[in-house]
Amino acid sequence: MSSFLLLFLVFFPFLAAYFVYPMRRRGREYRNLYVRIIPGVEIFAALLLLFAPGTVVLPQLCGLGLRFEAGSLHTTMAVLAAFLWLMTALPSKEYFADREGVNRYYCAWMMTLGALMGVFLAADFFTLFIFFEIMSFASYVWVAQNENPDALRAGQTYLAVAVFGGMMLLVGLLMLDHLLGSLVFRELPALVAALEDGRRGELLAAGLFCLTGFGAKAGMVPLHIWLPKAHPVAPAPASALLSGILTKSGIFGILIISRYLLFSSVEWNGVLLLSGTVTMVLGAVLALFSVNLKRALACSSMSQIGFILIGVAMQGYLGEDNVLAAWGTVLHMVNHGLIKLVLFVSAGVIYLATHALDLNELRGWGRNKPALKAIFFVGAAAIVGVPGTSGYISKTLLHESIVEYVHHLEDIGRFAAGFQTVEWLFLISGGLTAAYMTKLFAAIFVEKRAEKQRFSAREYMTPATGLAVGLTACLLVVFGLTPWVSMQVIAERSSVFLRAGESHGIFRYFSWVNMQGALISLCIGAAVYLLIVRTVLCRRTAEGTVYLERWPRGLDLEELVYRPAVKGLAFLGAMCARTAAGLGDFLVVAGEKLLYLKAPGIFVPKKNENFGVYARKPKRFLIGETFAFDLTLAGIGLVGALTYIFFTG
Amino acid sequence: MQWLQALPILISVVLGIGLTILQPGERKVRNAYIMGSVMLTAGLSFAAIIAAGMADTAPACTLVRFSSEFSISLRIDGCSMVYGAIVSALWPLITLYSLDYMSHEGHESRFFGFWIASFGVVLGIAFAEDFLTLYLFYELLTLVTLPLVMHFMDEKARYAGRKYVVYSLAGAAFAFIGIVFLLRYGTTLDFTYGGVLDLAKAAGNETTLWAVFVLTFFGFGVKAAIFPFGAWLPDASVAPTPVSALLHAVAVVKAGAFAVLRLIYFGFGTDFLRGSWAQYAVMTAAILTIIYGAARALRTPHLKRRLAFSTVSNLSYILFSLTLMTPAGLVGALAHMVYHAVVKITMFCCAGSIIQKSGREYIYEFEGLGRRMPVVFGTFTVSAFALIGVPPLGGFVGKWMICTAAVLSEDPWAYFGIGALILSTLLTTLYMMTIFVRAWFPVGTVDHEALSKIHDPGPAMTIPLMVLAAAGIVLALFSAPLIEFLQAVSLNTL
Repeated sequence: MSSFLLLFLVFFPFLAAYFVYPMRRRGREYRNLYVRIIPGVEIFAALLLLFAPGTVVLPQLCGLGLRFEAGSLHTTMAVLAAFLWLMTALPSKEYFADREGVNRYYCAWMMTLGALMGVFLAADFFTLFIFFEIMSFASYVWVAQNENPDALRAGQTYLAVAVFGGMMLLVGLLMLDHLLGSLVFRELPALVAALEDGRRGELLAAGLFCLTGFGAKAGMVPLHIWLPKAHPVAPAPASALLSGILTKSGIFGILIISRYLLFSSVEWNGVLLLSGTVTMVLGAVLALFSVNLKRALACSSMSQIGFILIGVAMQGYLGEDNVLAAWGTVLHMVNHGLIKLVLFVSAGVIYLATHALDLNELRGWGRNKPALKAIFFVGAAAIVGVPGTSGYISKTLLHESIVEYVHHLEDIGRFAAGFQTVEWLFLISGGLTAAYMTKLFAAIFVEKRAEKQRFSAREYMTPATGLAVGLTACLLVVFGLTPWVSMQVIAERSSVFLRAGESHGIFRYFSWVNMQGALISLCIGAAVYLLIVRTVLCRRTAEGTVYLERWPRGLDLEELVYRPAVKGLAFLGAMCARTAAGLGDFLVVAGEKLLYLKAPGIFVPKKNENFGVYARKPKRFLIGETFAFDLTLAGIGLVGALTYIFFTG
Repeated sequence: MQWLQALPILISVVLGIGLTILQPGERKVRNAYIMGSVMLTAGLSFAAIIAAGMADTAPACTLVRFSSEFSISLRIDGCSMVYGAIVSALWPLITLYSLDYMSHEGHESRFFGFWIASFGVVLGIAFAEDFLTLYLFYELLTLVTLPLVMHFMDEKARYAGRKYVVYSLAGAAFAFIGIVFLLRYGTTLDFTYGGVLDLAKAAGNETTLWAVFVLTFFGFGVKAAIFPFGAWLPDASVAPTPVSALLHAVAVVKAGAFAVLRLIYFGFGTDFLRGSWAQYAVMTAAILTIIYGAARALRTPHLKRRLAFSTVSNLSYILFSLTLMTPAGLVGALAHMVYHAVVKITMFCCAGSIIQKSGREYIYEFEGLGRRMPVVFGTFTVSAFALIGVPPLGGFVGKWMICTAAVLSEDPWAYFGIGALILSTLLTTLYMMTIFVRAWFPVGTVDHEALSKIHDPGPAMTIPLMVLAAAGIVLALFSAPLIEFLQAVSLNTL
């Protein structure tokens, strides 16, 4: 049963993608129904998979064979992916109602689902890599879908980062394969334990290569450059998936490496903690400065990825007692997927009605739309981590794991200032989250309406879209209020895969100690909003608040470093190559000049545009005239060789 | 029975010459003659390969014997099977494609006469038993394909043809030197797994022999477009597209790689070469070519020239894998030979269809063509992804095998090769994606009126395209039997 379900989950969407075009030919309605049915079938199969853990191996496929596994985190992520696909299928009909090339989008959309299932259900790195690459290329269509110069440029960035990441991953996996002889997750811990100490460095290097690959997809600094570019140009349902679940495939890979390969490596955990902290803070700052709705949400995704990475690192630091960190990581992955679905699809609704993403143009658009206001508010509260929402639970767990380690260090008398800094940065980033979400919410739903605003005559949201975001928002609240029966169950199931330790008793989510972290964050958020956003980032005018673009335009890692570096290298390479390539032609031309110097009836063209020698009388067969030269060359070789034989033999 | 392996070679040469003499006027008769000849040759070739595979020790077939050491003789071993099978499988398909394609180009009898004859010559290279035979057919290949390259006989074509002939013959002359030395220092000229060198004779002369090896490598490498002797290949893309597709992506250039394979693994021997400066010299050349070809491809706006530069790069994947001088390297080279052949031939055929149906040759003119020619651009896109090495498509399997071999060789120099492969993959993505991204995602104003006249070509051209693209996918998905076979070949345990 489980082997059938596994193969079905992975390969069915690929098969289904093939039929998008035929369905469209039968009629638009058929196609629209079809794209809703497919993810429905997928989620049904994914839910069945909850009751049927197991593995399946296809030894003949793709050279090394494919392996899939169900159970624990695999299944959780598969269910989440299928759920998000279904929830983005609902608003897609409305969003793409009058667009071109929709079939192409749906085709890529389904293939990405299959590839993503392949990534999450993979039981070895080889399988994971294969589907990871398919996913990268299939999801390119999402970014380039809108067919404008911005979209293509963002697509370029997306693809370059994805391919670079993929290649780094390939290097890492080749090293691992060579080092350990197997890429199957379950076999890795034993193989690593058997590894001689001298080769730990190689293992770490391989892990870092893989980290580059997975980090590129997850949006880790300094490979985050595609995130803020790709999201604003992609269609809103696609943005929700890109940041909600595609980034998680990168995190999934990083989790496996850190739990199965480099469990106790101090250097590895240090790298993760550092990059996670930088990503978390930088993402939050970028989001705070952004005046574009979807860009702000994209930067926010980056920041949340940073939170998750810190959780991954803390699992390594805490060793045996890492159960809270493991729970926090898994739950924040799930939560962030759901939250970003709500926020991005809401952004899509707003975009459909206004055709704008700039906060100044959107200002006050949502004042009289209570349903959307409530839904957006829940999403924002959840991402901030307000008690009562699911975000609070996962953030508290992550925070608690840092606090736990600080206590542990103090107990054994070690220096804990570094981790205390991380804890404060964690709380400050939470505060920034609160500030930028307040900024977005206030701009769209509270402030005075902008004057030149487009109003669409129709209802601003169809029931299907409302159902998708409303249901997800409800889920966020239900999860947040009943953590013991909902989120903890998910966490317990999933952290088996993460080889987490035992849990000690019941965790009191709503105790005063645990509330403190969230409250500190909220206070910081309020302070930042009042002191920075209201003063530096906007200006009050007679028409209302004007949000200012304060982030220096030139300060862009991609434009400042990556693109010039690539261009410079390309120029240098081309120069060297041309010079060297000319050498062969030069030799031949020089030889010809020498040979044909005084031959009658033949001329060497002065300008060497055509390389070579032509007969003056074109009637004669060309080869007869110039074949001599070739024979001469052949003869020289022959004579040289024969001479050598005579004189040495 | 042993004559079976000589039959396809002789018959196709005779039939090819026959076509140029008979010059049938009726198109139907001519097409039947051409298809019949090619199918017959391919059938005989497969029969010979299968017969050799069934036999315990493949028999040799001596055509001409000059002396006890020199003879023209044929024998099919594992490597012959791989190369022979690639060629024999692709030739009929591309012939079907080119019957339609060439109907607009004129001088078909001459063209197809040489076309059929070169099939036999390529099989001769595949089935050769010793270096002399290989050399004979290698030279013949240059001569018999020259009229195909110069088919249009305009200035550009003659220029390309001349360049091709100069480079190839000069290269073969270098290769000849190597063959003389093998005769002098070896025990036999017959291909022997592990090398023919007599180590007692070679002792003391290693440096000379290594130098001769490098010369010979570059000599044979000319046909495989090794840097800096690959300049003829992009220029030769003025030839009719079937020629570019079959000869300049598969038959001729792979003949160069195949000769290098024979040279390293069956001539000088890996034990003699491994670890010497000669190995590093040729490996460096291959690594440089990988990057050079990919970088030039990126800078070339002409579609067929870009594909040709891409071939330059990909051929050096094969050469790099060969220069690892391990059985795993041989597997990687053969695997990439197979996959690159299928993928690149599809792309060239697509390019031919695009050029013929739209008259557009430069990639910036392709804006919006994708929706008008879905089959052509669809197959092109699939093949391009395969070339980039998106798993699980063909190029990935080849690259994975090569990279694994490089890692297994534990040679620090080979790690640079992996770096080059990765860099080239990045470049491949860029130069391939820029071809079809604009075709599928047009930006700005598209001339819809001009576009509306363009459409997919007829079934004679689209069927080979779809078959090839499907073959590429199937071969890659179910690659395990192929890889097992190649592994047996590489260990000579067939």
